[in-house]
Amino acid sequence: MNESAPLAVELRGITKRFPGVVANKDIELRVQRGEVHAIVGENGAGKSTLMKTLYGMHRPDEGQILLDGEPVTFRSPADAIAAGIGMVHQHFMLADNFTVLENVVLGSEPTKGGRLDRSAARRRIQEISDSYALGLDPDTLVEDLGVGDRQRVEIAKVLYRGATTLILDEPTAVLVPQEVDELFGNLAELKREGLTVIFISHKLDEVRKVADSITVIRRGTTVGTADPRTTSAKELAEMMVGAELPVVAKRESTVRDVPVLRMRGVTVTAVAGGRAVVDDVSLTVREGEVVGIAGVEGNGQAELVDAIMGLRPLAAGELRLGDEDVAHWSTRRRREGGIGFVPEDRHRQGMLLDAPLWENRILGHQTRPPAVKGAFIDRRAARADTARIMQEYDVRAPGPDTAAIALSGGNQQKLIVGREMSAQPRLLVAAHPTRGVDVGAQSGIWELLKDARAEGMGILLVSADLDELIGLSDTLHVMLRGALVATLDPREVTPEELGGHMTGAARGDDSAGAA
Amino acid sequence: MTALRRLGLSLMAPAIALVVALALSAAVIALIGQNPATAVRVMFDFGDSPAQQTQAIVVVLNRAVPLFLAGLAVSVAFRMGLFNIGVEGQYRIATVLAAGAGAAVVLPGPLHLLFIVVVAMAVGAFWAGIVAVLKVTRGVSEVISSIMLNFIALGLASYLLTGPLRGSPEGASIITTSPIPESGWFPGLNGVLTGLGLAEPRSDLYGFLVVAVVVGIVVAVLIKRTRFGFDLRATGMSASAATASGVDARGMVLKTMLISGAIAGLIGMPDLLGDARSYNTEFTAGLGFLGIAVALLGRNSPLGIAFGALLFAFLDRAAIPLQFADIPASVVTIIQGTIVLAVVIANEIARRVTRQQAERGSAVAPPTTGDGSTGDGQGPGDGPPPDVGPTTGTGTGVGVRNAAGDAGRTDSRQGAGA
Repeated sequence: MNESAPLAVELRGITKRFPGVVANKDIELRVQRGEVHAIVGENGAGKSTLMKTLYGMHRPDEGQILLDGEPVTFRSPADAIAAGIGMVHQHFMLADNFTVLENVVLGSEPTKGGRLDRSAARRRIQEISDSYALGLDPDTLVEDLGVGDRQRVEIAKVLYRGATTLILDEPTAVLVPQEVDELFGNLAELKREGLTVIFISHKLDEVRKVADSITVIRRGTTVGTADPRTTSAKELAEMMVGAELPVVAKRESTVRDVPVLRMRGVTVTAVAGGRAVVDDVSLTVREGEVVGIAGVEGNGQAELVDAIMGLRPLAAGELRLGDEDVAHWSTRRRREGGIGFVPEDRHRQGMLLDAPLWENRILGHQTRPPAVKGAFIDRRAARADTARIMQEYDVRAPGPDTAAIALSGGNQQKLIVGREMSAQPRLLVAAHPTRGVDVGAQSGIWELLKDARAEGMGILLVSADLDELIGLSDTLHVMLRGALVATLDPREVTPEELGGHMTGAARGDDSAGAA
Repeated sequence: MTALRRLGLSLMAPAIALVVALALSAAVIALIGQNPATAVRVMFDFGDSPAQQTQAIVVVLNRAVPLFLAGLAVSVAFRMGLFNIGVEGQYRIATVLAAGAGAAVVLPGPLHLLFIVVVAMAVGAFWAGIVAVLKVTRGVSEVISSIMLNFIALGLASYLLTGPLRGSPEGASIITTSPIPESGWFPGLNGVLTGLGLAEPRSDLYGFLVVAVVVGIVVAVLIKRTRFGFDLRATGMSASAATASGVDARGMVLKTMLISGAIAGLIGMPDLLGDARSYNTEFTAGLGFLGIAVALLGRNSPLGIAFGALLFAFLDRAAIPLQFADIPASVVTIIQGTIVLAVVIANEIARRVTRQQAERGSAVAPPTTGDGSTGDGQGPGDGPPPDVGPTTGTGTGVGVRNAAGDAGRTDSRQGAGA
């Protein structure tokens, strides 16, 4: 590649803020013309925000976008499309009851005398399909197509609009391995024709297979670039999750012998009778123990948490809280039985954003004091207890009547943690408890979890943050493709080893790494 | 100060909306070649004699009572994000069966009344329950099923009226059910009016007004102060958060629809027990649909709905005097329509403004509307506009929200998640 040629896409110092959180900060990205450039990072690292910026879905607060060396400003995706940028979304945006042709031209139909010019459209699509080996039949109904074909229709849609730079958002998330290989074949065709591909993923083995260069994003900012030919999956994993370990104060074990959660052969399927997303998981959490679940996101951790909380039915297996079999208990009964829950996505599962804080204090504790008296809500007690939580857990807000949405992510999370701790659960299920919170709130939440552990609470910690996992856990399980593939001692394990287990590289499927 | 400010904010939006709506209506009246000032004068002219004036008030109140109940029925479901478009069918089928049952039994006074009311509530709840069962077991959108059940209910009511429950002789111009005996009549409130020193009106003020007020208070307490109400509102604000907090979404759909339907069953009672004494082909129709408008107008709060019902009733009363003044009665419909549109738009704007203020942390008051009527509380800020009717039917999934719905939801307004 000629170094003097202008870069196809260059981002300089892109910063994008949302209320309470900086989603992107000082992003630097340099993509050469005609390469497949991967952007990797954990969920929540800010990849999608960045791509939305590049696709004109919102404007950056700071920084510059350059295409072929020229600075550009996008007011809408239409501007981005006009400039030759196309986006293939993770969730397909196709009309099932339309043919491939109709879907491809939808929104930019060629017309002849005011009517859809099918023959012109068919010619164009056939041309695109042939030159990039997409193998599309313009007249098939989309509902008859498989996932891989649908994705190719999406790609054709973008190419039809004259895109020279394609953004693929987690394109392999929905594909089976053979389809992934086909997709990579298509990408090679695109590259050969001189198109540029930006490939977003967190699947490191795939990225290393397909990309010409890699940019790593962590916590909203670019932490570096890597050459896939010389970088191992482990090294990438380290860059992705941050390898610098905090100084973990040597602490004595508080693990007692009494188990609070026992899982035996727990299996959860995507749909009834379908693929197992949690595959035969057995683990025990004892009093005073933090059991960490490590894993690259999307390997069944979310489904495991749902299964424990009763939000997803078990296909098989046994789930015991203390001595009781809770597999058939409702979510409410499980909560009453002593399970606290810090959900992964607090806006979706943890809060009522439009409601005041004191109502959020009640959420999840609708049947327990101090929030209720009989069948009635005890507003005064709920407000008073909210004020207490705000003080004890350092939730910074004007008062219990403030709407939850007015709080920063960190303060929202502290309220959730405080609320769950206040019920003194036996078991706390904490999914990514410090995701999207600032550094100060993060260490505060870590301290809270350590204190709770010392008092005998059992904690199941699901996280993508290796520091957090190694620093807090007493036992560490690694989850890969729905199964627990390794159990590690957090006092001994290095982030490199952990990263290796997370990507499956430690089991020998890493070919190029381990230099 | 904050409470006052919040109240001010929440009242300002409908007040502005009302002014805008009236200005628009005035423009329409002027366009059809009439004088808006005359129209306003006619609408506020309650007559010359004291008896006429009290009569006008009674007409307004008697119309407001069923409208209020209809608004309540709709709002209970709205509050948890359910669109019960089927209130119309629920009250029609409930009224015809209650009329039939009331005429068929002999019971002492209060018991007879209670029996009729209970039958009406049970039938309304049953009819709404069908919608709920379809939703939780088969995933049928309540908007679709409740609309379709409206047609079935109306057909069924006609069949019952002309068939098994027919009480009028062959060939009568108005077909009615057999009249309810006097023990099943609800006493009027004219004694109260004359007690207050007002002139005796021609018609009875419905005693059912008292029942409606009680129902309103019960609903207000239920929604605002009870655990059940909290679960209901939480589900309306964020179904996913409510489920994670332990709310049984399916159970809530069922219970909420039953309550909504039971209240809907009461809608026909004021007219049936206070005036008509039987169900007939001329029985007041359309109250269920008006209830949707009234609920929107009142932002799903019982007090607001009471105001909305009074406003609509006031406008409805004006229809006949307007015709005397050679102004078409449909002016009333136009005014009602523009008011609802303006209020819905104003509410949505107010919601966004308060939400933005809250996000910036400058406002300490929670957004004024976090209820079902204004789209999904947690969803994207640029989410679907509030529903005025069945046309869009968004944000309705609760019990059976599928994976795709969840995926849409995770694309949150923060955009910070990858």
